[in-house]
Amino acid sequence: MSMFSSFTRELRFFLKQPAAIVLVLVAISLSVFSVWSGLSEVERQQETIERLLVADAKDRAAVLAKESDYGGAAYYSFHLTYDPPSRLAFAALGERDTSPWKHRIRMLALEAQIYESDTANAELAQSGQFDFAFVLSILMPVFLIILLHDLRASERAAGRHDLLVATSASDNNLWRSRAFVRVILLSIGVLIPFLFGAMVSGASLLSIVSVLGIAIAQILFWSFLCLWASARSYAGPTIASGLLAVWMLTTFVVPAMSDAFIEAIIPAPEGGDIILTQRESVNDAWDLPKEATMETFVKEHPEWAEYAEINRPFEWKWYYAFQQVGDQSVADMSEKRRAAILKRDKAAQWFAFLSPSSLTERSLTGVAGTDAKAAMHYQQHVRNFHGSLREYYYPLLFKGAAYEAITLANLPRFKALSDRK
Amino acid sequence: MSNIVVEARNLSVMRGQTPVLSDINFEVRKGEVFALLGGNGAGKSTTLHTFLGLLPPQSGEAILFGKAVHSDVASVRSKVAYLPEAATLYGHLTAIENIEYFLSLAGIKKSSNEIVQALDRVSLQKEAHNQNMERYSKGMRQKTAIALALLRETPVLFLDEPTSGLDPVAIDEFNQLITSLAAAGTTIVMVTHDVYGACQVAHRIALLRRGALVGSFEADEGGKIDTETVHAAFAERAAS
Ligand SMILES: Nc1ncnc2c1ncn2[C@@H]1O[C@H](COP(=O)(O)OP(=O)(O)OP(=O)(O)O)[C@@H](O)[C@H]1O
Ligand SMILES: [Mg+2]
Repeated sequence: MSMFSSFTRELRFFLKQPAAIVLVLVAISLSVFSVWSGLSEVERQQETIERLLVADAKDRAAVLAKESDYGGAAYYSFHLTYDPPSRLAFAALGERDTSPWKHRIRMLALEAQIYESDTANAELAQSGQFDFAFVLSILMPVFLIILLHDLRASERAAGRHDLLVATSASDNNLWRSRAFVRVILLSIGVLIPFLFGAMVSGASLLSIVSVLGIAIAQILFWSFLCLWASARSYAGPTIASGLLAVWMLTTFVVPAMSDAFIEAIIPAPEGGDIILTQRESVNDAWDLPKEATMETFVKEHPEWAEYAEINRPFEWKWYYAFQQVGDQSVADMSEKRRAAILKRDKAAQWFAFLSPSSLTERSLTGVAGTDAKAAMHYQQHVRNFHGSLREYYYPLLFKGAAYEAITLANLPRFKALSDRK
Repeated sequence: MSNIVVEARNLSVMRGQTPVLSDINFEVRKGEVFALLGGNGAGKSTTLHTFLGLLPPQSGEAILFGKAVHSDVASVRSKVAYLPEAATLYGHLTAIENIEYFLSLAGIKKSSNEIVQALDRVSLQKEAHNQNMERYSKGMRQKTAIALALLRETPVLFLDEPTSGLDPVAIDEFNQLITSLAAAGTTIVMVTHDVYGACQVAHRIALLRRGALVGSFEADEGGKIDTETVHAAFAERAAS
């Protein structure tokens, strides 16, 4: 008998099973909802960025109009930095849920400004968003388990198993085509809302194909596991419990334990400690002899040595120098933290091979550019931009140029890493 | 010789660690009705399961058309229609839908006309044909399963307690049906508790007790087996 005729036979058979149909419909609804909620979250983020961009330009213009020296201009003007959501971010919000993707920074000590909104251990936190990645990595296995675990056991319990087997030319073919129909309908139902979302948000073909590849790998893994289990001669509930135990273990227990393990063996300075250390350095600077501050500053930035003399009780160049010394005081910690986060991320990637759900989630956020690496990349981008502010202002401040409002038009402008990836 | 269709040759079968059939031998020729009698748990259903390739023989052979069943299970299953002991079909489907589905499993397509004819042949009432089977009585389910077995038009029928649940009229009709099928060349192996019915239709009866054959009876020239003799033998040898 041809594959096709068994498929159509089992398709017709499936369409007369209300319980299975309801389950597939539930899966479809959840997928639709996840795509919708992902798209609206991304839209909200984009609107936020657009709104802030308008406000950002307006605020700065207003501030600059009032200021009469460079120090004040730098002090009072904020700059919006942001990481726009990629076109696939709707499907896997990933780190965008937990680590900041926008900042308002000014030319003060930077590290505290970066970590202010990032005090949680975001790099390993599970995404709390109900996005497509959640449906695919966490819920999909449950749907597959429910649909496939008792392929045979239910027939055995109903007393039909022997007749089915004795009647079919090939009973393997029977179970396979039954499973195939269920997996195909479920997969199509779950993936079509994603494809729709990807189309709406204009994702590239390559990224869509990558997501489909990840989805197929996840679906195949659990389908084969369920098929293998369903061929055991245990009762349906026993098989279901076994599979659900595997699901819980690999989806929740293994990631939680490996995260705890990774955090323990790869320590990272806390963002909060970095903030405190930097604030202390900045606050202490007011009471320190100015020469001491300038000396520390010049050690790192010898190009300003000949301009480092402070004569008046308050000078902006001294003020910004001790801000930068504040950054210098935590440069080591911050670097350690970044390195540790990337190292944890790498370790988590290895542990993900013990957890199909984590692997799926990580692969999706990787493709969507919403993973820890992307978050670090953005953070570094903010540092670079902040550096360009200093590059712009320092010559004006240190060389004591007369204030000319016009030059501020040349202020470095923040450019996002990409408009939409 | 070549007209032997079903043959057990020193057949022994285990279920788990328990031996269920031990060293069974019998032959059924083309067009014969062979009835297996025996107490509960004697191993009658197990015998059929073994010939269907659902259970492997521990030793000896289950042979169909000269071929060991376990060497080519698929070809055996295409030649045998099976009526299971507790025939359950899908409750959410009608008799006709059920039959269509199971036939398509075997790669057979029948018109709904032919299916209705088969259901008439086992006298399932017309108004039930298009009702979901969850509303069927035991006898109605049994009739549907018999109709399914008939529609497969296989050269061999394995029937496990085919008359259980049938009313007396239906049993008579069924016995006539079996006789005419056999006359037309169908080979029938039948497990039954109905000694009287078996004596009416069977060409040969075998008594099974605790997995061993303990008696065998052949039909006389008139084509009948004496009910009294079988009854007596059953009470003496086969009752567990
Ligand atoms: N699925 C099974 N697993 C283990 N043992 C089984 C199984 N089915 C039957 N048995 C055992 O095999 C033996 C023979 O069972 P079988 O079903 O062949 O008896 P039977 O002659 O058909 O009885 P009945 O008249 O009650 O239908 C019994 O001892 C029974 O306990
Ligand atoms: Mg039995």
